[in-house]
Amino acid sequence: MSVEIEGLRVAVGATEIVHGVDLAVGDGERVGLIGSSGSGKSMIAKSLLGLLPHEATPSGRIAMGDAVVLGDDGYADERTLADLRGRYVGTVFQNPAAALNPVATVAKQIELPLRMHYDLGAGEREERVRAMLDKVGLPQDVLNKRPHELSGGQRQRVGIATALITSPRFIVADEPTTALDSITQRQIVDLLVSLVDDAGASMLFITHDFAVLSRATTRCYVLEAGRVVETGTTADLLTAPKAAPTRDLVSAARTLTLEAHHD
Amino acid sequence: MQRLRVILRTMWSRGTGRYALVVLALWLLVALVSLFWTPRPLLATDGYHVWAVPSADHWLGTDGTGADVLSWLMAGSHTNLVIALLTVVCSGALGLLLVGLMVARSSALASVSVAVVDALISIPTVLIALLLAVPFGASAAVVVGACSIAYGLNLARVARPAALLAARSQYVESARADGASGLYVLVRHIVPNITPVLAVQLSMSAGTSVLAEAGLTYLGVGVGAGVPSWGHSLATSVKLINVFPLTVLWPGLIVTLVVVALNLFGDALRDAADPVANPALRAGVRGESADAMPDTLQAARPSLRSGIASADSPLVAHGTKEIVDER
Amino acid sequence: MRFVVRRLLLFAAALVGVSVLVFAALRILPGDVAVVMAGTNASASRVAELRAEFGLDRPYVVQYLDWAGGLLHGDLGMSALTGRAVAAQVGRRAAITFPLIVMSLVIALAIGLPLGCAASIARSPRLRGLFHVLAIAGGAVPALWSGLLLLLLFGRGVGLIGLFPSQGFPADGWGDPARAIASLILPALATGFVAAAGIMRYTRAALDDVAVDGGPVDMAMACGMTRTQAMLHVGLRLATPQLVSVIGLTFASMITGVMVIENLFALPGLGALLVGDVGNRDLVAVQSELFLLAAFFLVLGLIVDLTHRALDPRLAAEEE
Repeated sequence: MSVEIEGLRVAVGATEIVHGVDLAVGDGERVGLIGSSGSGKSMIAKSLLGLLPHEATPSGRIAMGDAVVLGDDGYADERTLADLRGRYVGTVFQNPAAALNPVATVAKQIELPLRMHYDLGAGEREERVRAMLDKVGLPQDVLNKRPHELSGGQRQRVGIATALITSPRFIVADEPTTALDSITQRQIVDLLVSLVDDAGASMLFITHDFAVLSRATTRCYVLEAGRVVETGTTADLLTAPKAAPTRDLVSAARTLTLEAHHD
Repeated sequence: MQRLRVILRTMWSRGTGRYALVVLALWLLVALVSLFWTPRPLLATDGYHVWAVPSADHWLGTDGTGADVLSWLMAGSHTNLVIALLTVVCSGALGLLLVGLMVARSSALASVSVAVVDALISIPTVLIALLLAVPFGASAAVVVGACSIAYGLNLARVARPAALLAARSQYVESARADGASGLYVLVRHIVPNITPVLAVQLSMSAGTSVLAEAGLTYLGVGVGAGVPSWGHSLATSVKLINVFPLTVLWPGLIVTLVVVALNLFGDALRDAADPVANPALRAGVRGESADAMPDTLQAARPSLRSGIASADSPLVAHGTKEIVDER
Repeated sequence: MRFVVRRLLLFAAALVGVSVLVFAALRILPGDVAVVMAGTNASASRVAELRAEFGLDRPYVVQYLDWAGGLLHGDLGMSALTGRAVAAQVGRRAAITFPLIVMSLVIALAIGLPLGCAASIARSPRLRGLFHVLAIAGGAVPALWSGLLLLLLFGRGVGLIGLFPSQGFPADGWGDPARAIASLILPALATGFVAAAGIMRYTRAALDDVAVDGGPVDMAMACGMTRTQAMLHVGLRLATPQLVSVIGLTFASMITGVMVIENLFALPGLGALLVGDVGNRDLVAVQSELFLLAAFFLVLGLIVDLTHRALDPRLAAEEE
């Protein structure tokens, strides 16, 4: 599913944080959005589906496939947004330890999008959840565990399983690896990429780390202080960054990778 | 001084802050005026006009002894102001003392004081007041004492998480290494870090003292008989109910408006005095550009997001206390 | 388990501490209790007689141990004025006060919970501001005043529409439950309205705390719930431990209002008993009654803490 963002502005209170961002994700494309912390990239991710906190007001235009999510009159109504969320659009959160419902079992968590959008029997739901566990590489015995009994990497696998259980057409991954150690990061990125490609979905991958981005995306946007400062293929930006923020991010990624190799 | 002006201007710029400032200023003014002048002398009773309905002579009518209701309300504002101020001072002092003990370096002292606060906090104010009323009889001191104990405990519990963070910070460690005393650390490092909580809690304790005065005086354990106070007027109006029901409105309305003002005052003060939330303060005090709020500052104060959370933070205590303790 | 044991030990220590506190506070009494009880014109020998009768001439430690020992056996002592057992008096009056508190709490929850949820779910700044002001204004009303206003509106005999009895409690107590409940409706509304504002504020704060950025509520929304569904299904469940604490707190904070309201509506409840005994300086009765009520709130605090613990799997996990 293609996604188009035009002239998106987000203000928190009286302060504007995102100053008119244009961004497009083609059908089946994996696109990155990279920026240092505080550049406003998380605000963009949250504004995609109406998950902004109440102090934030977005304006501009967001369209997904045929549906207009954000238009001149503000957001589409909450019911329309809810129908998109979890069915056509899956979201992977930054910190699964915080995002997963602490009182729900893994089974309940993963099947939630199915319950919200499809009229399936309990048996069929369980079958699909079990199949999904295999796909994300989790053992079947986690089904009745709760998030606090899992490791960080396992939790994010649960997060990915939940986002992909309904085979959505578009995935928003909001810094899905930031809370993980470097080895687990790589496994999670590769898993996410292969699942998205298998499903033929498109993805917007948000991060501050070019090292991760090069594995996950083909094209990307560089965000700095609420504006897109550079855009191009990920490979080009990595080898020949033009804008100063891009250079900083690339060199930061190099240093980190080198350090990681020395360990 | 400059800082104070910026803070007051910011409070004035918002509707709730302006309301609070106006009501509190009026309260102060009436309390001062009532020291020198009331429409009728308080003790001038008028035997021919008991239970009188409002008239040109007695704007709000008279009570059972023929005393002027308006004059008593005005004089009452003075009593309630004194009670509220004393409550703020005493509950603040008790609260800070308890906070100091709860974050003390000696873990035995700290855990004992935490346990004492946890246990005593569930005892209602009125029970403390009744206990105090046995030896002291009905007096304003009972109201102040009961509110100060109850709110000092509450303040200590609510401020503890922030105080604990401050007490375990690098600054305090190094100040300690330089031989700073416990009292110095409390005043210089811990108090500044819990100022927002203090602002909200202390103005709430002032509001509660007004409410408690009304209730306790009616029960006969608040201010003594013959002392003007809003609680006294409210209790008197109970007897007026069959004569002129609308007279009942005034004392209750005054108490409600003032307590609302005190609660809003705390919120507004916290928002206006916080350099993170108030860009004008940063610009005014440090001459920085007003609109760019550093990310680090934002990240340091997640509580900003949940607006009233700190005003209602008895919750904070229950939610996080155990986790912090176990570590 | 370690937490439960520690909390129980703390509770026992607090009980002892409170009993010492109550006992000691009443001994710093300026007036001699025996003199007060004997009346102004009593002879010195009568005072001495009373003092001996109630054991007030013994050392404090003996007096305390005697009293505390009695408490352990459920013996609350005799009222010095009426000569009746304190336990019986408290029991009879609790049959009015506790139903009143429970009714108030139900009313407060019925009003405060939905409003608190609505306040947290509301998006527009104007609506949020309105809810904020509503909660603050509601909590600022003195219970005496809300009671008076209700009397003026609905009290039989004094009000505009006389719907409910405005004074007293049926003489036969709960013999006729419908009449008993009817006479408690206005008092319960008076305290319930005020407490509802507190419940509303706490509910909103608890839900706001739970609905953090990138938390379970956002996750539920990302799975296809509307914001309202996510708040009510996931948010409320996660806020339950905090809401239990809130109910405990509300219970304790309603007591002042309840005593005032009992007085206003001439209900012979615990408040009236306690206030009367304090006024009469009935030492033995006040001592036991204050301790009993304080103990009740300590038990309440214990129950709230344990329930809070049990409802939060993360806290339980810390233990393992």
